[in-house]
Amino acid sequence: MIGRTRTIWLVLAVAVALLWTFLPMYWTVKYAFMTKTEIARFPPMLFPHQPNLASFFNIFGFDYTAQDGTVYKASGQARQIMLGLRNSLLVAAIVTAITTVVVVPLAYVFARLEFPLKGKLLAAILLSVSLPPVSTLIPFYTLYVQLGLTGTMTGLIIVTLTITIPIVAWMLIGFFRNLPPVELLARVDGFSRLYVLTRIIVPMASSGIMVAAVIAFLFSWNEYVYAQILVTGSNAVTLPAAMSGFLFQVPEPAQLAASLLLSLLPPFVIAFFLQKHIAEMNFA
Amino acid sequence: MADNVSSKRAAGAQRPAEISTFSFALIVSIPVLLFLLIVVAYPLAYAFYLSFNEIRFFGGYSADWVGFQNYAKVFYDQSFWSSLSKTFRFTIETVILTLGVGLGLALILKHLPGKWRWLRALIILPWAVSPYGAGIFFAYLGRGQTGVGTAVAAMFGSSQTINLISARFVIEYLAVGAAWNMAPLVAFFLLANMLTTPQRLYDLAKIDRMSRLETFWHVTLPPLRFTIFVFTCITTVLAMKTFDYIFTETQGGPGGASSVLTYTLYKISFVNLDLGYGAAMSFFLLAVILVSTGILYFLWGRKEERQ
Repeated sequence: MIGRTRTIWLVLAVAVALLWTFLPMYWTVKYAFMTKTEIARFPPMLFPHQPNLASFFNIFGFDYTAQDGTVYKASGQARQIMLGLRNSLLVAAIVTAITTVVVVPLAYVFARLEFPLKGKLLAAILLSVSLPPVSTLIPFYTLYVQLGLTGTMTGLIIVTLTITIPIVAWMLIGFFRNLPPVELLARVDGFSRLYVLTRIIVPMASSGIMVAAVIAFLFSWNEYVYAQILVTGSNAVTLPAAMSGFLFQVPEPAQLAASLLLSLLPPFVIAFFLQKHIAEMNFA
Repeated sequence: MADNVSSKRAAGAQRPAEISTFSFALIVSIPVLLFLLIVVAYPLAYAFYLSFNEIRFFGGYSADWVGFQNYAKVFYDQSFWSSLSKTFRFTIETVILTLGVGLGLALILKHLPGKWRWLRALIILPWAVSPYGAGIFFAYLGRGQTGVGTAVAAMFGSSQTINLISARFVIEYLAVGAAWNMAPLVAFFLLANMLTTPQRLYDLAKIDRMSRLETFWHVTLPPLRFTIFVFTCITTVLAMKTFDYIFTETQGGPGGASSVLTYTLYKISFVNLDLGYGAAMSFFLLAVILVSTGILYFLWGRKEERQ
């Protein structure tokens, strides 16, 4: 009897959790499959009655002819969306690689070794976590204008690294602290520091490092504030900046939803397959 | 990196040339810190310079030294104080909701039987959504014209418009969306903690005839406290810094009701182009963030670390 009531409660709880998780996404994503008249309908429709893929064709620059003969014109933003997709992948990949390579030794050193000035250096890293992008935007912009870095991917990568490195370092330091203290033994056995780090610590911490990489990827892929100011309209535009055209210039809910769905796919795939490593991130 | 090459050679040699802990730490951290210093310190210094000037764009660019005038002006600015209180309201609500929902999700995930484990991979997904994406989602979800409130009312035969983004509760609504975005990550870290609590303790609790609530309070919760503290800090900082989420969801509206400090800053610097004043105010925001995390650490974090 007790087992059965428990199961009922669990099923209910899971249902609520799934509704909480998917309702906000579904509500917008459904627009991607709807026509303008369907979207404008009042009261709002719960699902597309005649789902179509017009907006997906449109954002990639193709016209779409519906069965009733209506032609949905290709979006004027198509070029930006495609550029944005490529650039976002490129920038996120480079940022993830650099962040991971740089932060793993950094976090290891701060978590496991004692050395002078450690507290002060750590405080400097944490200070940069606290910097709000809104307050560094103008200075970055003027600096970039002088250096000719506006509208370039290099510029965007540099700015993004200032976000990813501190926050990923912060998370990994907590993780490294909890690994068993094996490196002392290894050091007694005469292995060098670099050997200890690359051959013993890194394999032991592989899930933490994987999660760090995922976090770096997400921060970079999802970065919008800097991209909006630094690369909008240029050849270095990223997907979020390209998409905002559908939001502000000419509101196109269907195409916005389609490109938003597109932008969610890479992070979803990554989060979906790497979630079991996150469940191994243990601080305490 | 030259340092890397030389230490690699040292590792390969028969007699490793040993370096001290301090120099190893320096070799690893100095390049990164230098990078951060240059790329973060320069804009910060430039913002500092701006904050002592009045910048004008009309009739040609000009910068006039005004000393502390911009900082003094912030104190007398009504919109600064009301934005600050909105930032606090948003932050406190976001932190409580994020940790509460995170804990709830973690408990659900923990109790999932083996063949349902794959559900974990679904629950994590909102965390992968960008803040601007979450803003768009919750904008359409909440607005009277398009939102879920109106749709549900229509299901019950009402033709009323139910707007969840009202001037009165817009901050609460924003906090719910922010928690939706962040809670899954918290849930997963808490779950990682929970899974290390030995089953033996739960068996003992049963022998002691502890109630569900007591078991939760005395067995489940204590090992989670440090993680909860860390995420309280992270969520506090992220909530105070957030801009894109609010920008895409409400644009500070309706009628400035969700104009938190970052949004007010954006308006001053990018719409009014009052760069000097915006820079001065942004240092207040930075101070607020640092002081808040400092207080959290001194009141709570030190206690957790000592244990």
